Amino acid sequence: MPCSFPENRRLRGAFLLSHLKIKLLLCLLILLSACTTPPKSSTENFREITDDAGRRVSLPRRVDRVISLAPNLTEIVFAIGAGDRLVGRTSYCNYPAEAKTVAEIGDTLHPSLERIISLKPQLVLISTASQLEVFTQQLQNQNIAAFVTDPHDLNGVFRSIEQLGLILGHEEQAKLLVQKLRERTGAVEEAVKQKPPVRVFYQLSAEPLYTAGHDAFVTDLISRAGAVSVTADVPGAWPKYSNESALAAKPEAIILPTGGSMGTGNSTVTEALRRSPAALEGRVYKINDDHLVRPGPRAVDGLEEMARALHPDTFKQ
Amino acid sequence: MISTASDIVTSPARPNRVTLRKTLVSCTLLALMLLLAIVVMSLIGSEQLPARASLCALASFGTTACGLSRDQFDILFQLRLPRILLAAAVGGSLATAGAGYQALLRNPLAEPYLLGISNGAAVGTMIALVFFGANEWTRPLLAFTGALAATLAVYRLARGRAGATPERLILAGVIVTTFLSSAIVFVTTLMDATRIRSFTFWLLGDLSGTSKSLLPVTITIAIVGTLALTLNARSLNLLMLGERDAFDLGVEVGRVRVVVFLVASLLVGSSVAASGSVGYVGLVVPHLARLSLGSDNRISIPAAALGGALFVIVADTLARTIIAPRELPVGAITALIGAPLFIYLLRRA
Repeated sequence: MPCSFPENRRLRGAFLLSHLKIKLLLCLLILLSACTTPPKSSTENFREITDDAGRRVSLPRRVDRVISLAPNLTEIVFAIGAGDRLVGRTSYCNYPAEAKTVAEIGDTLHPSLERIISLKPQLVLISTASQLEVFTQQLQNQNIAAFVTDPHDLNGVFRSIEQLGLILGHEEQAKLLVQKLRERTGAVEEAVKQKPPVRVFYQLSAEPLYTAGHDAFVTDLISRAGAVSVTADVPGAWPKYSNESALAAKPEAIILPTGGSMGTGNSTVTEALRRSPAALEGRVYKINDDHLVRPGPRAVDGLEEMARALHPDTFKQ
Repeated sequence: MISTASDIVTSPARPNRVTLRKTLVSCTLLALMLLLAIVVMSLIGSEQLPARASLCALASFGTTACGLSRDQFDILFQLRLPRILLAAAVGGSLATAGAGYQALLRNPLAEPYLLGISNGAAVGTMIALVFFGANEWTRPLLAFTGALAATLAVYRLARGRAGATPERLILAGVIVTTFLSSAIVFVTTLMDATRIRSFTFWLLGDLSGTSKSLLPVTITIAIVGTLALTLNARSLNLLMLGERDAFDLGVEVGRVRVVVFLVASLLVGSSVAASGSVGYVGLVVPHLARLSLGSDNRISIPAAALGGALFVIVADTLARTIIAPRELPVGAITALIGAPLFIYLLRRA
């Protein structure tokens, strides 16, 4: 012990010296920053935007590193030409093909906070569909900006596109994209305007039977395609539905979302509906599930596909 | 309640005919109540059907429509009645299996759901769905295998050097249950995200996916299983005294144990494959049967089977109507009724 004392003292001296240096350096930095930039600088490099959850999010004016936690948001980022800013995505983000080259940070429901932090994002994009309220708070605690979107219908999708355009500085592309999508939507709505609406049952899964309720995005899409969902008034987004009520609703057409991320699943009508008017008349339509459940630009593809399937005479070339 | 088994054994003077008559009377009464429940619950559902016409159609066994529209006829005979029959088969199977485990393991808390045996069957069913999705027959087969494996695991874990104490058995059940729950979580990660939601619903016990091709199998297994355990009821009565005493009294302990394990696993496997894990049926119903009819297995096993069928039919009618046209998993209802009822029974005993 005694022989180690002078060494110790030297160490302590060195420590004090370095401490002093750091303090001096800090003072210098503060002084420098004080004279080179005016006090309101921080508000000029940052701006506040209100997201769909009503949170005021402070964002840098130029956002270069973005992580998307939902496939529809990944699709929007690429569609407005800002795909090169994306540094992280979920394992569900499988479109467009370029998206697959971006680093994975887990799936939509269970993203990895550690991997997100290590990717040093300036902004994380979140959809309310992923139920990440707790996770959003964790990001906030780590001082990572999180922007929450909550599109309930097609207009909500257009709003999301414009918001992301504004955030990523691609306002022109976003406006152009929304304009094109609005034109296509308008064309479909115009074509089916005079048609009596087809009564549709949307079969999310067969056993047990799940359907789209009042809050589901696809319910709005169905009503724009010259149809009406027989479960449009059921509370919730994806309710478990009674077999007998489904049959008693006498749907004229059944939509099976399948073939996209769903793979070959959900490609047959549930046993309870085999004797429904829709099944007896062969009006069962398989439509790419990614076009129907993702509130992104391809939702308009889904709208067109549904309208063409439900009103084949109107859309005959 | 189990200790009263000694009364039965130590009073050989009591003629067997009394037991037989008591069995026949109570089971006939329960069977009539079951029939009544099947008819009444067929009239209740998320869709309103004309009661008189439905009764008339039911009385004709579906040969005449009695003025029901085609949709109404289909709802009654293609959807509602098969589901009620499945509820009866599942309830009967689970209650019988519970009564069998309780007698063999000499533990009133032995129950397929609490011992993790339902979870074993669930893992089997999920493996069948993930790897052999197209082939329906693999589901009850693998569910049976899973239930049997879980039964053997619990049994081996529960038998310490000092024999199987009730506490040890329940602990073994907790360990097997939690281990298999993790296995279930692991299997769900192998499935794509879109199917996970329907699986969580199914895991809680759900009768809406009644499969026409498997329904006769489930009903047959329920009936044959109940008969098989009832035929072994005398040996089970003696086994409740302890394995050594039973052996001294001439019971082929090893054979009875194998029969009960196989039959109970088959019952649990077929019901879980059809409807997921419906909890508390195997616990509450045999308890009620023993409380009201005594602990002679010759009466309590068939009575539990009929009572279990009755219980699940009523629970499922609630599950499919209280938030109609949406639905609840039936397992949520049986647990909501079963857990408080069980606490009440425990405090009274």
